[in-house]
Amino acid sequence: MVIEGLYYTEEHEWAKIEGDVATIGITDHAQELLGEITFVELPMVNKEVVQKGELGVVESSKAASDVYSPVAGKITKVNSELESAPEKINEDCYNAGWICTIKITDKSTIDNLMSSKQYEAYLKSM
Amino acid sequence: MIENGVSGRFVFKESTKTPSGTVLFEQHLMRIEKSRMADFAGYLMPLWFSSISVEHKAVRESAGLFDCTHMGVLEFDGEHAPDFLDAITTNNIKTLKIGFAKYSYILDAAGYVLDDIIIYRRKENNFMVVVNAANKTKIQAWLKALQKDEAIIDTEKPARKLQDKPVIRDLLTDCGQDCRVDIALQGPASKELLFSMIEAQEDKQQFQDMKSFSLIETGLDGINCIIVQTGYTGSKTGYELFVHPSKAAELWALLLEKGKSLNIIPCGLGARDSLRIEAGLPLYGHELDGEFNINPFEAGYGWAVKLEKDFFIGQAVMQKKSQNYNMQVARIEFPGQAGIRPVRQHDGILDKNGICIGWVLSCAKVDEKQIALVYISKNIAEENRQIGLYYTARSKMQVEKGKKSKVEKNQELETDISGTIITRFEKF
Repeated sequence: MVIEGLYYTEEHEWAKIEGDVATIGITDHAQELLGEITFVELPMVNKEVVQKGELGVVESSKAASDVYSPVAGKITKVNSELESAPEKINEDCYNAGWICTIKITDKSTIDNLMSSKQYEAYLKSM
Repeated sequence: MIENGVSGRFVFKESTKTPSGTVLFEQHLMRIEKSRMADFAGYLMPLWFSSISVEHKAVRESAGLFDCTHMGVLEFDGEHAPDFLDAITTNNIKTLKIGFAKYSYILDAAGYVLDDIIIYRRKENNFMVVVNAANKTKIQAWLKALQKDEAIIDTEKPARKLQDKPVIRDLLTDCGQDCRVDIALQGPASKELLFSMIEAQEDKQQFQDMKSFSLIETGLDGINCIIVQTGYTGSKTGYELFVHPSKAAELWALLLEKGKSLNIIPCGLGARDSLRIEAGLPLYGHELDGEFNINPFEAGYGWAVKLEKDFFIGQAVMQKKSQNYNMQVARIEFPGQAGIRPVRQHDGILDKNGICIGWVLSCAKVDEKQIALVYISKNIAEENRQIGLYYTARSKMQVEKGKKSKVEKNQELETDISGTIITRFEKF
């Protein structure tokens, strides 16, 4: 499942851009590949990240996957509910399973992301 | 490529091939997307159908059906078959009764484990041998070398050769009507389902009386089958069904349809792994051989190595190793509720002073706990002992925070979580 209006990365993160704030999560394809997610390591609030910089780690019993930042900016909020209920990413990766919000410092980094149509085509090409 | 120099070590490098589907591939595509399958030993195998935990639970409470048609199935036939198998594997095959099976090891002359196998005696001089899918081509190369007297079988007597050889056939292919592939039905409800599908009255009785590691040949709704009471899940009630590959899909669909009312579901590689870990069963490459060259004694299977036999390949080395080993495989229970970081292969196992005494080999989440198979100092591997664990780094970010990506024995480390050593094996 790919949601229209979001931006996507080749590493299967999504970003919802509202003004200069981006909400970040991992895509349906990513959660499907990982299987039952049992642990999420969240970034620190106020941490500055570059585009493709590390945000955290999502782990299932089978695999550990790094989460990279789709944009450059500063972490403003993290979804601490995931610490006790990491399965929210499996259940609802585009809403309740969000990982963090980032105040974008360099809006040009958005240009490097894929649209929903481009991401769909990217998934098919894999 | 084969090397078997004076050391007696047999090294085989397999060429990589593009994965292909098993004979049940079309069946799987009816239930899951292709993206849910992964390459395992050259076959595209389902990872899970519903979820690993649902499938794990089904095997413990009702039953689960596993595609094992990738497993290697070999036939050893002829009057020399019993002596040959007795010489090339560690267990006593001469005393194996017709209609029964034994777990055994194929070693090279240097004592390295080439595979762990199950040998089924169908007739006086006819055996079916199931080998790991990942080791099949290596074992075939080894057997070919043995048949041609090209391999060293005794490092103390390098000129030693095996006397007479049986006819060895690959039952997955090229055997016409004799071909066999493996489908496993594991869990308490499996007996009721199979019983209902056996047509002949006398076969029903025979099936009813089956014991662990025994086999019968019968029809399941008219499909000819070798039913054996073996498995890889730790279930006391569990069977493997050896069927002709052309009938495998029909049998698979039939078992799922008829098993529906008994809550029998298809299971993938994920549950196969978590079930065998929970039961304490070794996986070749992890708890056997692998990076630590774990031998059968360390793995907890010394009973399958009959040192007192006249001869078997690797015997001299096994005699030494049986007397002298300091590490062993143990089973440890860790907490595993949501929010606990999963334990993984290569994480460090620590004693109460935080000293690294070994490593995690495999781990699985089972309900609210994690069960790990570990390789640790033998003198510490005592049941009920508290043990610590050090999570190795999972990402660059953790390395930057100071987490080590690799830990060494005797290193002093911080304990991240604690666990308890439990019995080496568990039956369900």
